[in-house]
Amino acid sequence: MTAARLAAALAAMLTALLLQATLVGPVTMSAQLSLPAVLVAAVALQSGAGTGMSLGFATGLVADLGSAHPAGVLAACWLAVGVLCGLIVATGRPFLAQVVLIGVVCSVAGSVATLLLTALGSSGATVDGAARALLPSTLGDVALALVVVPAVRWFLRSGALRAPSARHG
Amino acid sequence: MRRLTARQRLAAIVLVVVAACFVTLDVAGSGLDDAHGGVRGALGALYRGTDGALGPARRFVQGLPAAGSNEDKIAQLRKENAALRARLAVDGADARTKAALAKLHLAAGGYRVLPARAIAVGPGQGFDWTLSLDVGSSDGVRAGQTVTDGVALVGRVLHTSATSCVVLLAADPGSGVGARDTRNGQLGVATGHGPHGYTFVPLDPDTALQVGDTVQTGPAGRSTYTPGLAIGTITAVHTAAGAVTADVRTAAPPTALDLVGVILAPTPDIASAR
Repeated sequence: MTAARLAAALAAMLTALLLQATLVGPVTMSAQLSLPAVLVAAVALQSGAGTGMSLGFATGLVADLGSAHPAGVLAACWLAVGVLCGLIVATGRPFLAQVVLIGVVCSVAGSVATLLLTALGSSGATVDGAARALLPSTLGDVALALVVVPAVRWFLRSGALRAPSARHG
Repeated sequence: MRRLTARQRLAAIVLVVVAACFVTLDVAGSGLDDAHGGVRGALGALYRGTDGALGPARRFVQGLPAAGSNEDKIAQLRKENAALRARLAVDGADARTKAALAKLHLAAGGYRVLPARAIAVGPGQGFDWTLSLDVGSSDGVRAGQTVTDGVALVGRVLHTSATSCVVLLAADPGSGVGARDTRNGQLGVATGHGPHGYTFVPLDPDTALQVGDTVQTGPAGRSTYTPGLAIGTITAVHTAAGAVTADVRTAAPPTALDLVGVILAPTPDIASAR
């Protein structure tokens, strides 16, 4: 992990959380889209499960601490998004298949988070809400992934942000 | 399919255990309150800055669904306004009605309200039903204060930092609001259903509810809100097993919230009248 990659990860995480709270969230309030989860998935797709897992946990924990629900729930769910997208989605599939799989993984992770919060008795989360949000959030996350995946790919292929192993080999 | 290396597997297990510890700490007590407060305060300050740049674009997008219907709405409101002015002129002749209207005006406007702008929702995913406002404890905002859009109930302040606060929307699924049917005065509880508004359950199961009845905040229920704020309009009435319930369309749709007001305290007039 180079300093440039760490700084880029922090900047991307903060940007995704701010855009989620001030733009994506208010505009799509009942659809439960998640830009940070899609970012984690896109990074995992490009850099592997290890990086996706770390970014997913860190991003989820900041989102948890900035929210009204118990901390740790989104950290665990987005960690799973990083692992799954690093292992399953990134195996030489065509771009569109990757984008659809990212949408499905992020949407299921969101519904699992809602179910966990329901089990914990957290205000606002319901089983009904988790079921209703599944389809609109999948479609919305696919739409976000169509933009985020190429952007992340472009950034991570630039000279300064390329993984050390990729640069040497 | 790729596989995790042994080191990555160990790291994943450790991180999941850490996440479980965070959940336990947060659910069991107030061990993470300071961490929550710090992150909310920092994000709140960043939301204010981001809203300055992205707010106009967001408000434009939020206004698009209503763009087609605004002309009709303005025409209808103008017509209603003219009718109300005519009624007011007739009522003005009646001294008792005038006194009652003055009293009602005092009740409606008798609170010190701090204007605020909605700058963000939660940073995670849309299941929190919270809203961040650009006012905080330095402006006199305290946890528990009621938030209104001027006429209708929006929610109540949940957490505050120096320059921002987090509001729990009243339509939050599972939240209960003490409510009153304004037509028959019956008290009950309006339970939030997120984007679908509320379900109103009167305390008296024999209450006759009607479609079109308006429901406003009242003294009953688990949460304490400022009384007299509109909650919504009844759109359907259901009777099952002898109990009557009603679907209520919210008077303050959460997706259209922009300028709101935090009710800081009653004015001296109202406070002394209590």
